[in-house]
Amino acid sequence: MTRDTAPHPATDGPGDVLVATDLVRRFGDLVAVDGVSFRIAPGETYGLLGPNGAGKTTTISMVAGLLAADAGTVTILGRPVGPHRIDVKRHVGLVPQDLAIYPELSARENLLFFGRLQGMGGKELRHRVDEVLEIVGLADRAKDATKEYSGGMKRRLNIGIGLLHSPTLLILDEPTVGVDPQSRNAILESVEALSGEGMAVLYTTHYMEEAERLCDRIAIIDSGRVQAEGTRDELVRLTGELDRIRLTGTGDVAAAAEAVRALDAVDHADADRHSLLLVVRDAPTAVAAIVTAATRAGMSLADVEITRPNLESVFLHLTGKALRD
Amino acid sequence: MGLSFRQLLTMTGSDLRQRLRDKSVVIFALVVPLALMFVFDLTFGGMEQLELGDIEVAVAAPDDDELAAALVGTVRDLDVVDVEVVPAAADEVRPLVRSGRAALGVVVPEGFGAAVTSGQEAVVDVVEGESAGLEGQVVVAVLQAVLDRVNAGAQAAAAGGIAGLPPEQLEAVARSVAEAAPTLGTTEGETSREQLSFSGSLVAGQAGLFLLFTVGFGVLGLLEEREQGTLARLRSMPMRPGLVVAAKALTAYVLGVVATAVLLTAGSRFFGVDFGSPAAVGVLVLAVVAAGVSLVFVVARVARTAEQAQVAQSILAMVLGMSAGAFFPITAGGVLGTILDLNPIAAFMHGLGITSGGGGLGDLGQPLAVMLGFALVAALASRLIPDRGAAS
Ligand SMILES: Nc1ncnc2c1ncn2[C@@H]1O[C@H](COP(=O)(O)OP(=O)(O)O)[C@@H](O)[C@H]1O
Ligand SMILES: [Mg+2]
Repeated sequence: MTRDTAPHPATDGPGDVLVATDLVRRFGDLVAVDGVSFRIAPGETYGLLGPNGAGKTTTISMVAGLLAADAGTVTILGRPVGPHRIDVKRHVGLVPQDLAIYPELSARENLLFFGRLQGMGGKELRHRVDEVLEIVGLADRAKDATKEYSGGMKRRLNIGIGLLHSPTLLILDEPTVGVDPQSRNAILESVEALSGEGMAVLYTTHYMEEAERLCDRIAIIDSGRVQAEGTRDELVRLTGELDRIRLTGTGDVAAAAEAVRALDAVDHADADRHSLLLVVRDAPTAVAAIVTAATRAGMSLADVEITRPNLESVFLHLTGKALRD
Repeated sequence: MGLSFRQLLTMTGSDLRQRLRDKSVVIFALVVPLALMFVFDLTFGGMEQLELGDIEVAVAAPDDDELAAALVGTVRDLDVVDVEVVPAAADEVRPLVRSGRAALGVVVPEGFGAAVTSGQEAVVDVVEGESAGLEGQVVVAVLQAVLDRVNAGAQAAAAGGIAGLPPEQLEAVARSVAEAAPTLGTTEGETSREQLSFSGSLVAGQAGLFLLFTVGFGVLGLLEEREQGTLARLRSMPMRPGLVVAAKALTAYVLGVVATAVLLTAGSRFFGVDFGSPAAVGVLVLAVVAAGVSLVFVVARVARTAEQAQVAQSILAMVLGMSAGAFFPITAGGVLGTILDLNPIAAFMHGLGITSGGGGLGDLGQPLAVMLGFALVAALASRLIPDRGAAS
């Protein structure tokens, strides 16, 4: 799928949380964002996957109303977004790529501060602050100045501030960059939980595993353009590559090859003395039938290995470059 | 509107809290200037009592010698020191000084004028008594300067083949030297009603100088927000974009007013200065802080980083503070003088001079106009200058 055939939201779908249409943003001669369009449905987690410099942060800045677009529009819940659209900002929670917390203040003070700016106050705010501290796992360190926190704790607080006012749309810009694996997992889990509660999430990353794990739909973005968009499986299909299954074992490998070739899902099978390499459609579904057929034909299996083309392959296919630099 | 105001106060309150937690504000806004006041008072405070008094000088000079008479005349007419000339014969001078009836003795030798006009070196004998003191030093220095110039002029004339220089000309030289040499102390001398005392200008000057550092802490917060990423988040909040800057200005303003008020109060207690009507002084403080805040906003616009801003601001503080006379009195005329007159810190000190001389609000028109005009121009400039730090 190329940009020309990319989905092009012309009108708001009923109940779309976010509709971005043909966004353009230049910095001098550089076109950082060059006609980006996408839409996010309620409760959906939408990913912007692309390498550094692709234009993710610039796109998000326009979506959150921090940056004026040179062309194109963004609406949230049907209302236009921009630096001066105060009412719309209320529905958005932004978690900036760079940490955005006050080092001299404690986690609780940071949360109270931003909560008040959101127009919250009193008991409602204090209650919500406690809740968020639980969600991001900082309740026991809530009173310490954040300059004493580890990198992962700061990241978690950074996310907590974005959640505070229970936004309709939560925007996370590369929230796991520079985070230890444990905190990273905690972050991914809390995003999954939020999305499970029905919050729409816009998530940018250059880690394809994160996009695969979290996102219902993904836009692959490079050089300021959406190169392709869809579910993980839709995107993978674009490469034209199929899944691969390698069966290793002893016994009658040739007969096993004969047997699996007869299966619909199997496109191609190559046998040698101890292994059988298959090209198949939808390996996770087909694998059971394949294993049964090979065993019945007289092969005794020692190992089964599935490899599927991933978003990395998609990116390579679309741009001719590796996703990670 | 209600929410906007609450947001403004929330940001200002949080800012002030962070500024106070980070002790550097307290140190730079209060401790350092107070400490400097004490140091300067110890170092230079004595000079105020250094009022040159009078001195009796026994002088022997040949009769009918115009040049000798001119020399004696310049000494007698000195501005800085009151010289009482006791005429004496050449051999009486030494005993007069030794007995203490004169603090200084000067013997102009016979044939002084003739020697000078013929291009020979003119020499004068000086006898210093024990009580000559600083006044004696000044008189000797003046004599020396006059003789040097007279000798130089005479020798030049002789070398040029002019036989003899007209005495009137040499006399003119001598007078001009005497007038030019000892400017020392003339500013202290004219204690007009609008001039602060030494301690007064020390306290006012340090308060004015450090004001720029103090308001800097408030405004630098804006650059800090950018560097620590919180500015992006503030911009995503449901509030008017201008509020962030307004909150910084308010923070800076509050810090500036509090610090200046504390410094003036503490300074006037410690050094026994009376700045006059508290209401009038209060108005001066409000005005000078406004000027300081807008100036620092210009700096914040031009600087790319908080560090750059800090350096620029220190330089500005020193330049404005020093040219206002925060460390020592400065007087200048012409273009430089006009520029100095537009210095808000100088205007602040001028204003405090007026109030300490008993002036009220009605007498503060000129300094207030300078400070508020400065504030206005700087505020406009800070809006017009493109924000160099914003592109990151
Ligand atoms: N404020 C800015 N001024 C100039 N260039 C910028 C600015 N912000 C981003 N860019 C440029 O725009 C491009 C996209 O940047 P960005 O949106 O931050 O990418 P990503 O978030 O995908 O890493 C990059 O080439 C970047 O250097
Ligand atoms: Mg980015």
